[in-house]
Amino acid sequence: MSLDNFASSKAFTLGVELELQIVNRHDYDLAPGAADLLRLTSRRKLAADVKPEITSSMIELSTGICQGHHDVITQLLEVRDALVHDAAKLNLRLCGGGTHAFQDWSHRRIFDTPRFRQVSELYGYLSKQFTVFGQHVHIGCTGPDQALWLLHAMSRFVPHVIALSASSPFVQGTDTGFQSARLNSVFAFPLSGRAPFALTWQEFGIYFDKMRRTGVVESMKDFYWDIRPKPEFGTIEVRVMDTPLTIERAAAIAAYLQCVARWLVLERPFEPHEDDYLAYTYNRFQACRFGLDGEVVDPRTAEHRPLRDLIAQTIKDVESHAIELRAERGLALLREALTIADGSDAAWLRNTQATEQYLPEVVRQQCLRFEGG
Amino acid sequence: MTDTLWSLITTPWALQSDTLLGAAVLALLAALLGEVVWRTLRWPRMLGYTLVGTVIALASRGASGHEPALRLAVDGALALLLFEAGARLNLRWLARNPWLLATSIAEAALAGVVVWLVLRSMAVAPGVATPLAIIAVGVSPAVLQRVVGELHAAGQVTERLLTLATLNTLYAVLAMKLFSAGLLLSDPGTWLEAMSPVLFSFCGSILVGAALGEGLALIARRFDLREDNAMVLLLAAVLMALVIAKTLQLSALLVPLLAGIWLRNRSERPWIWPRHFGSAGGVLVLALFVAVASAWRLDTIGASIGIAVALVLARAGAKALAVLVLARPSGLGLGQALCLGTALLPMSATAWVLALDFSARHPTAGAHLMPVLLSCLALLELAAPLVVMASLRAAGEIDVQRKRRAS
Repeated sequence: MSLDNFASSKAFTLGVELELQIVNRHDYDLAPGAADLLRLTSRRKLAADVKPEITSSMIELSTGICQGHHDVITQLLEVRDALVHDAAKLNLRLCGGGTHAFQDWSHRRIFDTPRFRQVSELYGYLSKQFTVFGQHVHIGCTGPDQALWLLHAMSRFVPHVIALSASSPFVQGTDTGFQSARLNSVFAFPLSGRAPFALTWQEFGIYFDKMRRTGVVESMKDFYWDIRPKPEFGTIEVRVMDTPLTIERAAAIAAYLQCVARWLVLERPFEPHEDDYLAYTYNRFQACRFGLDGEVVDPRTAEHRPLRDLIAQTIKDVESHAIELRAERGLALLREALTIADGSDAAWLRNTQATEQYLPEVVRQQCLRFEGG
Repeated sequence: MTDTLWSLITTPWALQSDTLLGAAVLALLAALLGEVVWRTLRWPRMLGYTLVGTVIALASRGASGHEPALRLAVDGALALLLFEAGARLNLRWLARNPWLLATSIAEAALAGVVVWLVLRSMAVAPGVATPLAIIAVGVSPAVLQRVVGELHAAGQVTERLLTLATLNTLYAVLAMKLFSAGLLLSDPGTWLEAMSPVLFSFCGSILVGAALGEGLALIARRFDLREDNAMVLLLAAVLMALVIAKTLQLSALLVPLLAGIWLRNRSERPWIWPRHFGSAGGVLVLALFVAVASAWRLDTIGASIGIAVALVLARAGAKALAVLVLARPSGLGLGQALCLGTALLPMSATAWVLALDFSARHPTAGAHLMPVLLSCLALLELAAPLVVMASLRAAGEIDVQRKRRAS
């Protein structure tokens, strides 16, 4: 299979995918309920789509094409309420969060479809350790060159959205010290990380053909990049976020990305360079480890700045675009999170564990939070 | 009681199941055989325990249920298993999915009625058919807990199987109490005389069960459940409640079951217990499965096997039918419903204890009831766990990956 043609879509349209955890109500461990849940939700008519994911205790919901924050939150709330209702019928529960706090990855079952089985055979334990839950945001681009330009310009905002969404401090029952430990699992995959620096579709096509000749990849699906082009949708897909604990936070982060994209494309505040990636992995690490309290480096000015300040600055920079896209409500939610000493979902999880001293109870409260109760 | 314990020490070399030597030999054989069936066939280890019991039964050396030391182990083990069963019953689920509650009532009622009709059509006296039908309502939570636990089964069928079994066991125990009271009522005597022990037993069991549930919650909150010490505390609390139940003539089945249900449903906070409260509980459970499997008798099985086969078939058919009919509204696929329906099969310790208690109070009816019931146990003791395993595997709820890793 060679590289698809890049479909054109309306600029700055939005699509959001959320991977959710399915847990039982007995001990709040992950539960293999995807097939049952899908059977029940298939009886409904929903604007958003519900799909199986690689393990049977995970389910993915994705919105249709949205114009902005309002569309996203309406669709997500509708599908959430439907899923929560159906899950209750099955004695199951759903929650957000980038990792399950105490699940044992060796117990996970691989959802039975040919592609998932193939992935599982290739990656072995990695695919089970990959029982992590992320949010993906698609941003519509009018053409492939705009998509690639935007992809690289967006790279410096990757730490922002990592910090804003971080909700995976616990892995296999222990506190990792990270705000987002989920991304550590993602980095273990051979084709993860940043996309190669190519600013035109032609250049990108040459890279893709070379890679395909090596036999390492067959299609775009084999790349697990932080941001990757999605030619069949005509979008770029930002994939670094943990699934936040609430729908509201997820929609707000999508709105943030949409505003940043519009600001970048219409105002062109800077041009992307290969050298932007000099400090990329360092910055990403800072965001994963310390969240909003992380300090990132601007590779051009060598200036170190706290992520919290940078995000606040960006929200100001994109203000006029937020008004245009009617995303103010979403950005207000993020601005509020910045003012709290530690406004991240990871901090909420740690605080809950500090009071309860019992991870199953933390997961239960996580479910309550997701349900909006 | 003292005599028995004394005899354990004074006659240690008599090879009977109720002596120290006998118990040690049986435990050794059961544990080894359990490991053999697990390693060679991937069957649950409890089938090994059951096999040992079956061999004892074939040798006509089985338990009668009247051996005090053995009965103590049986009651203790059953208390642990029923507590565990109760502690998985989420009553809120029944409220959220009323069709599941409907399924539970339908499968229990249909099984009771169909079994009763079949027994009557085979000329079994009403005084025997009714208690048998009531006992047939219950599906052994003990066997299900073990099979599910050993095979690490998880999913909708597993979850519903455990829920339905806990509920129908509850129905059976309650109905048996009521039936016993009714029998006494028809005997010469006053109404009050008959009903007051039943009422006392109901209320008392609920009170002691709730108290035990609260006590266990307190222990679970204050102690680290991964520590052996906390386990001993839990085990002791359950046994203490059992002693109180026995002393006050409350139901030894109802108290632990209600304690579990109370604990699960008093708040939404999750509780996780190590299976059977650790290794001490494991020994009791092993003894339980050996004892129950050894209870049937070769000399009486011939006369009662026909009725027993009819009972087992009627019961299985009725339960499966109810589950199938209500599958869709309760949110279950048809294939899953078939698996669930067939898995509602085991009859084991709870049935045995119910029958023993009934026979103790009503010896005449008991003499006719016991052979049929023991034949049912003989029919199901090995077959039912295998059917449960096959059903759960067919439903895709047993982890194949884990099986491979273990081998």
